[in-house]
Amino acid sequence: MKITLIDDEPDICIYLSTALEDNGYDVTTVDENDSVIQVIQKNQPDLIILDIMMPKRSGISIYRELRSTEMFRKIPILLMSGMSSEKSFLPKGFRRLVNDDNIPLPDGFIEKPIRLPELIKLVHKLKR
Amino acid sequence: MVTPTNIDDWIKNNLFHVIPMAIAVINQNFEIVFANKTFEKMFGRWEKKKCHVVYKNKDVHCVDCKGVKVFKDGVARVSEELGYNKQDRITHYLQHTIPVIDENGDIPFLVEMSLDITETAQIRKEYQLLFDQVPCSILLIDRNFRIVKTNQKVENTFGNIIGQNCYVALKGYDTECQECTSGQTFRDGKMHSGNHVWKTRSGKRREFLVSTVPLRHEDGHFDLVMEVAIDISQTLKLEDDLKIANSFMESLIATSIDGIIAVDMGEEVTIFNQAARKIFQIEDHEKITKEKLASMLPKNFLAQVSAGLGHVYLPETEVITMEGGKIPVRLAGVQIQIKGKQSGMAISIQNLSEIRRLEHEKLEAERLAAVGQTVAGLAHGVKNLITGLEGGMYMLNSGIEKGKTDRIGQGMEMLNRNIHRVSTFVQEFLSFSKGRKIKAENCDPVQTADEVVTMYSAKANESGIKLLHEYDSYIAPACIDSESMHECLTNLVGNAIDACRMSDNKNGKNVLLKTFEKDNAIIYEVIDDGCGMDYEIKNRVFTNFFTTKGLGGTGLGLLITRKIIQEHGGKIELESEPGKGTTFRITLPRNRLPVPTCTEES
Repeated sequence: MKITLIDDEPDICIYLSTALEDNGYDVTTVDENDSVIQVIQKNQPDLIILDIMMPKRSGISIYRELRSTEMFRKIPILLMSGMSSEKSFLPKGFRRLVNDDNIPLPDGFIEKPIRLPELIKLVHKLKR
Repeated sequence: MVTPTNIDDWIKNNLFHVIPMAIAVINQNFEIVFANKTFEKMFGRWEKKKCHVVYKNKDVHCVDCKGVKVFKDGVARVSEELGYNKQDRITHYLQHTIPVIDENGDIPFLVEMSLDITETAQIRKEYQLLFDQVPCSILLIDRNFRIVKTNQKVENTFGNIIGQNCYVALKGYDTECQECTSGQTFRDGKMHSGNHVWKTRSGKRREFLVSTVPLRHEDGHFDLVMEVAIDISQTLKLEDDLKIANSFMESLIATSIDGIIAVDMGEEVTIFNQAARKIFQIEDHEKITKEKLASMLPKNFLAQVSAGLGHVYLPETEVITMEGGKIPVRLAGVQIQIKGKQSGMAISIQNLSEIRRLEHEKLEAERLAAVGQTVAGLAHGVKNLITGLEGGMYMLNSGIEKGKTDRIGQGMEMLNRNIHRVSTFVQEFLSFSKGRKIKAENCDPVQTADEVVTMYSAKANESGIKLLHEYDSYIAPACIDSESMHECLTNLVGNAIDACRMSDNKNGKNVLLKTFEKDNAIIYEVIDDGCGMDYEIKNRVFTNFFTTKGLGGTGLGLLITRKIIQEHGGKIELESEPGKGTTFRITLPRNRLPVPTCTEES
């Protein structure tokens, strides 16, 4: 199963990609200078793990584009942030951030700091 | 010697000549045939001259000749005549023309007796003129309160009222007035005065001040009283208006929330209202001298107002209370001039303590809110750090487990890096939450900005970014903490340069710092054409620990910047568009700037 991980913090990219690979997943991270959309188009991942707060372009902005583009619409997305808990993020925090009722909710949310077993469980659940 | 026997002779020869009347005898030809010495003294030579030649210097008969009439009907006449004396001066004389009738009833002669009244007539004329022309109404009243005589002014105002009772003519009453000023004078013979409302002939009621004096004969007894009346309606109305204006002003001053003080040209403090007493903490009964006042006001304030600088306005200053405390006030002083001559000073004082307290409370509340946000944000920042640390731990543990040396090294590196980040965070967070007290003093707003631009010029140059400073040619010094403001501008210019470097197209990027004054506020604008921000980022730039710089930033820079701006009473705004650039604008209204922390010498 192919996962594309998008986070601006290199340490978190290394940590999560290593941990997910240890659990048998194929993980691609996105370099600071790469275009996120191009990488996803190239990789055709089965799951996207997307950090919300990032330089240049926020996770929400990327999420919006992915959900409004036909070829990416079906790919499950797991949003990730340290700014709120899952309870407070879904659906209220998400709606406030997206500011658009037509954008569907994400397939999952994981709070930082990441409890690894929980992440693995969630990723497993989202595996088609 | 005159004896009873020769008295007839004396009368015939002497009295005729010494009697103080000019006597002449005229025949039917109007020739003077005889005259006494007094006549000669008055009219000169008369022998064989016609009467009209002697009296009036005329060769022809007078038009209204009394002599003709007396010759005709034999009735004696009295008339006032104008003629010429022997010096050819106009002479006013009273003439009795008496016929001399013989036994036949014929009138061969007339005796004319003339009394020189030139002087009397002149005086009478002058009095009449005075009587008519004085700017007040004069009436003569007899003991029956009948008007005997009035001057022209009375006639103009009330019409011809001679012969009427004064109470009827002036007041429309049927009977005497209860408070009759003339009556008082009739009773005691003294001068009196009183106010009376009289009705003019146009029906208007006017208020008169009436003075009455007895018109005494030589022997002291009198039958007439002269009333002199002055229309004081206008004066009374002005007095009333003045009283109303005065009491309005007095209550205004008494109830004013601002202190109001007036001083005259001498040493007197003429007005010192309740609000002023409260500001200066002075007891109600205590008297204030000008000297004391000057010692409580800012140095030379009174002198400046007095020096004719017109309106002296100090929007923010301090006064010293009775107890020696300092009160922040707004002070305005103005010179009072009456007809171009300085006659005193008026000072108004607004107590700013309460406003200051509220401002301080508001700033404090804002600061507390910022601290609250910080604490909330701290959790978020720490979460990221923990994730980094956990990552390091995972790499280390799994490396050891799997015997992967490179992974162990990577884990160690991650742990070190994140531990370092934790300590940087803690330090910055502490310095932020402690809140360095700002040290404000008058400085040049342009210079502070210039220093930041100079500091960054090398870095900008290296990255191929054009960094410029545009500023107004003159901005008055402002009370700001230049060190803190330096920090703010450093943050903003630093961010702008980073935004240019993060931009997709890195060529020909610009950062412009603009310093100018608008609407009494100092404005700094940091404009870049770098990468710009999208909606989500814009909404979070002032949130704690938000950073777009990955490992390079702590996310506290803009938060600190905003805090400093708030402590200066200002605000910071931003406009940004992804790919187009960002403008940060700091607005510092002068009237909200802090007061100097350390007072300047000199």
